[in-house]
Amino acid sequence: MSGLIQCIDSPDTMVCATRRLREIAQQKALAPQAVIEILDQWSAALEGLNDIPGVAFLRLWLRRGNLESIVLRELGANALHGEWREEGRARLRAFPLGVVGHWSAGNIAIQPLLSLTCALLGGNGCMVRVAGRLVAITQRMLEKLQAVDSGAVLLERVVMASFDHTRMDLHGAMAKTVDGAMIWGGAEAVSQVRALPFSPWARVLVFGPRLSAAAMDAETWGDPGERSAWCRRLARDVWQFDQQACSSPHTLFLERGGGCDPSEFVAALRHAFDEENRQHPRLQIETALTSAICLVRASWLLAHAGNRAVFPPSPDWTILLGAGEDMPYPTQGRTLTVLAVDDLLKVVSKFDGTLQTLGLGIRDAQKEERLAQAAGRHGVDRIVKLGRMHVFSSPWDGTELIRPMVRLVRHVRG
Amino acid sequence: MSALEKIEQGIERLLMQAPYYIDPCQRHDLLLALLKQELAYACDRNPRFRNYVEQWPVDFRVAEQIADLPYLPVGVFKQNPPLTLIGSEEIKRVLVSSATTGQSPSRVILDTATAKRMAKGLVTIIRDFIGPSRRPYLVVDTPENLLARTEMGARSAAIQGLNSFATEVVSCLRASAEGDLSLDRENLLSAAARWKFAEVLVYGFTFVIWTQLVRSLLREGLTLALPQARVLHSGGWKRLEQQAVSRQAFSRGVAAVFGCSEDRVLDYYGMVENVGVVYPDCAYGNKHVPAFAEIIVRDPLTLAPVGAGQRGLIQVCSVLPTSFPGFLVLTEDLADVQGLDQCPCGRRGLSFRFAGRAPKAELRGCGNIEDTRYPQERKAGVA
Repeated sequence: MSGLIQCIDSPDTMVCATRRLREIAQQKALAPQAVIEILDQWSAALEGLNDIPGVAFLRLWLRRGNLESIVLRELGANALHGEWREEGRARLRAFPLGVVGHWSAGNIAIQPLLSLTCALLGGNGCMVRVAGRLVAITQRMLEKLQAVDSGAVLLERVVMASFDHTRMDLHGAMAKTVDGAMIWGGAEAVSQVRALPFSPWARVLVFGPRLSAAAMDAETWGDPGERSAWCRRLARDVWQFDQQACSSPHTLFLERGGGCDPSEFVAALRHAFDEENRQHPRLQIETALTSAICLVRASWLLAHAGNRAVFPPSPDWTILLGAGEDMPYPTQGRTLTVLAVDDLLKVVSKFDGTLQTLGLGIRDAQKEERLAQAAGRHGVDRIVKLGRMHVFSSPWDGTELIRPMVRLVRHVRG
Repeated sequence: MSALEKIEQGIERLLMQAPYYIDPCQRHDLLLALLKQELAYACDRNPRFRNYVEQWPVDFRVAEQIADLPYLPVGVFKQNPPLTLIGSEEIKRVLVSSATTGQSPSRVILDTATAKRMAKGLVTIIRDFIGPSRRPYLVVDTPENLLARTEMGARSAAIQGLNSFATEVVSCLRASAEGDLSLDRENLLSAAARWKFAEVLVYGFTFVIWTQLVRSLLREGLTLALPQARVLHSGGWKRLEQQAVSRQAFSRGVAAVFGCSEDRVLDYYGMVENVGVVYPDCAYGNKHVPAFAEIIVRDPLTLAPVGAGQRGLIQVCSVLPTSFPGFLVLTEDLADVQGLDQCPCGRRGLSFRFAGRAPKAELRGCGNIEDTRYPQERKAGVA
């Protein structure tokens, strides 16, 4: 095991490590501005690691401008320097919750670090479980942090822990000793972590499991002049994180209108997918995913003689074209179902809270406004322009990222 | 002559050949031509299948390789109603796979002609391994699985597929009212005493042979003294691997119980979706493909065929079915390609070894939902 990621193999070790993190968090104040200074340098230092999926997004997230605006929005004025903020006769100031435990998805390389930075900005200690398959990648990114965090201002507040996902004793020890938890992942993983024996006072923040979709009106997708640009944006959103993120689109709803033919749009989309695949070819795949991709292609076309599909002989990408207002179960692996619909508002009104992000390509601003309102009412947490579906920002999944992991202390002066 | 009659003639010609000794290039060309005819026929018979074939990235009419032809993933045979190329009045038999817990079984529709070809294909293959003679047949299963039914499980189909080699058939297991299996000692021991020193054919599912017969007789130190027994088994190794029983230990145990040599124990790979084709191990431990079939092992990353020494997903190809579109089926099993035409046993064409089921998908990130929050029917989009 590397120096920056510890292999923890007993509950006692876990308890000791958490206790030490809590002591540091209590004894040494850490203002957000000090954290941001280091994270901004880390962003620059990560430049050479663009081969790691998602590093480009991590670098954007870590930039000073991004983080300062989030801290100000979530914690209020004066929070950057860890100062009190006046509120009537009282004053408010954010203090760390203590130690925050992080359980991230095992397949999103940057997620342990994204999660970590949210809690660090609140001055917390962090116990981060790193999935076995992410250890080497995480180590490379942490080495860059180590290089800019010369006084270990941040790293002394962090324990990156690696242990087998089946070690429920270690998961349990981690859960028992943390004051807050940030949990990311799929349905099964999240359910398992939520069932751990957290203290009654522990704040538990869950991100995922969610799905995302895209929608376009006919004025947008039917415009031959803009079509290829929109297709490129969409391809980018599909390719990022190999469609395994909660913000990955699996379905694109095309609103009919103006006599435009969805097949023409799909032809342009095919070029965009081919090009994206050329630039970002898949280097490995789980055999089960290959089987699932082959199955969804066949099932789609066998389900109805009117359904269409475009795909290469390889499992690299798949576009399924049909009609209907219900989202098919996602396959992942760069599989996009394109559904022609009569009314996007009707589609959005069927969303049931599963949908996290709705990526839009809508020309009419008023229509976009109506769609955004309807989407918000039906459980969608993020409504963004196509091409920006993965831009990590606060709030995420409808919740703030820093504020839930701090205590806002109110001081009413005598 | 109708398209179907032409196809039937082509299949018959291939079934009459010695199954493993045609020049691989010649066989490829024969199969390619016949498979193209079968695809065209299936497209005429089933508009949904035609839709699939028409969207395939390569036009099958101009394909130059079997590997370029449109194949179906094995999962589509779990659909209900099953994929078919015949009317309901023509259905002679429905083969049902043995699905693992919680999964739907595959259903394969056979008409009379396909059922006959299935039997013929199986006999042609097995004959090449055990010889043509008829002999007493011991079935390591229950009498119920000897009965011909319209809907037939994989075990029944495999058992009854070997009936052509039998002079008499004896089963040596019985099932309780709850379905628990136990050994019918009386039947077994009296048959063994009667058949001493005769050529005997034995068949059972691998797991059933081990748990119901071999384990208990080994415990008692009992041998059946059938040195001329040929023990065929199939059905996969997963459950035995879970019990840490290796292939070697299995063959050793079976040989000890029957009192025969280990090389008389023959494992074969097969599935209901690949009707009439099985893949027994040759004396060198390799599996071979008969004249009327083909195996393509595909790289999961590219789905391109892999070469010798490489592992991939098994695609089975067979010209035998005309009642359902099971000509080209991508399985969820893995194989290691051993060679392209070099097995010392003399059988021509690709040789391979079964390498187990492909692992199940791991958890797939925060986009991996289990279901909607508020259950509602998820429908496939239709045009």
